[in-house]
Amino acid sequence: MHQQLELLLQIQDLRMQRRGLTDGTLTDLETDVFDIKVEDAIRSLDEKVEELAGELTRRIRERYCRIADKAPRVVAPVINGICYGCFVAVSTARASEADRNLRVESCEYCGCFLYHVA
Amino acid sequence: MKLRELFVPSAIKLDLAAETKDEALRELVSCMGLDEKSEGILYKMLKRRENLGSTGIGRGIAIPHCRSLVVTRLRVAFGRKLSGLDFKAIDEKPVRYVFLIVAPPLEVSNQYLPVLGKIAQFGKEADVPESLAEISSPEQFIELLDAKDL
Repeated sequence: MHQQLELLLQIQDLRMQRRGLTDGTLTDLETDVFDIKVEDAIRSLDEKVEELAGELTRRIRERYCRIADKAPRVVAPVINGICYGCFVAVSTARASEADRNLRVESCEYCGCFLYHVA
Repeated sequence: MKLRELFVPSAIKLDLAAETKDEALRELVSCMGLDEKSEGILYKMLKRRENLGSTGIGRGIAIPHCRSLVVTRLRVAFGRKLSGLDFKAIDEKPVRYVFLIVAPPLEVSNQYLPVLGKIAQFGKEADVPESLAEISSPEQFIELLDAKDL
């Protein structure tokens, strides 16, 4: 897997975790069962996202920032040839390549970075 | 869906080799059948969740959990370490039973939160820690969930 794609995956996972705490879906469980301090957790997640984003190359970071400002999802999984960011099929050639996660590529329709799921 | 339908015998470890929390997370992540890179990403996410606050809910039970792109469907695993693991749990007691839950960001059936809630509820039942200590096979673990109608 491309190192920059790995960073993007980590950033996306952290953003999902943050979203779960801010949109209310996970908040009750995390506070009631696990005694999480939501504000502290969000601050910590934001710091980690910032730190990881700082490790992106300038070109990828710029693309990341453009997407991140507009949408909750910056990386979309590709499952069975479908981009789960926009549910449009990615090109067959792209989807079938064995080394498909060895480079960083984006969906030509929704702009999300693509992660091909095995 | 019932909890028992989510647990597969290969992801039920009644004698974890792990001696630490981190090792236990790694051991349970390795039950997920992922490639090495994906395992690494998942482990990091679980660690980061633990850094926000321990998932040790007390009475010897921990429920590490996260969503990650590296899995395509909800996955669960169970690990037992009768000698206990330092999980920095809420009650500061060692953790002996670890329920791992991971889910993709998007789930058609949206089971992640209900499953997390059910396991948390299960862990709070008075007889559960003792029952978990007594089981001797993955099948008995499934039977225990069955007996609780989970």
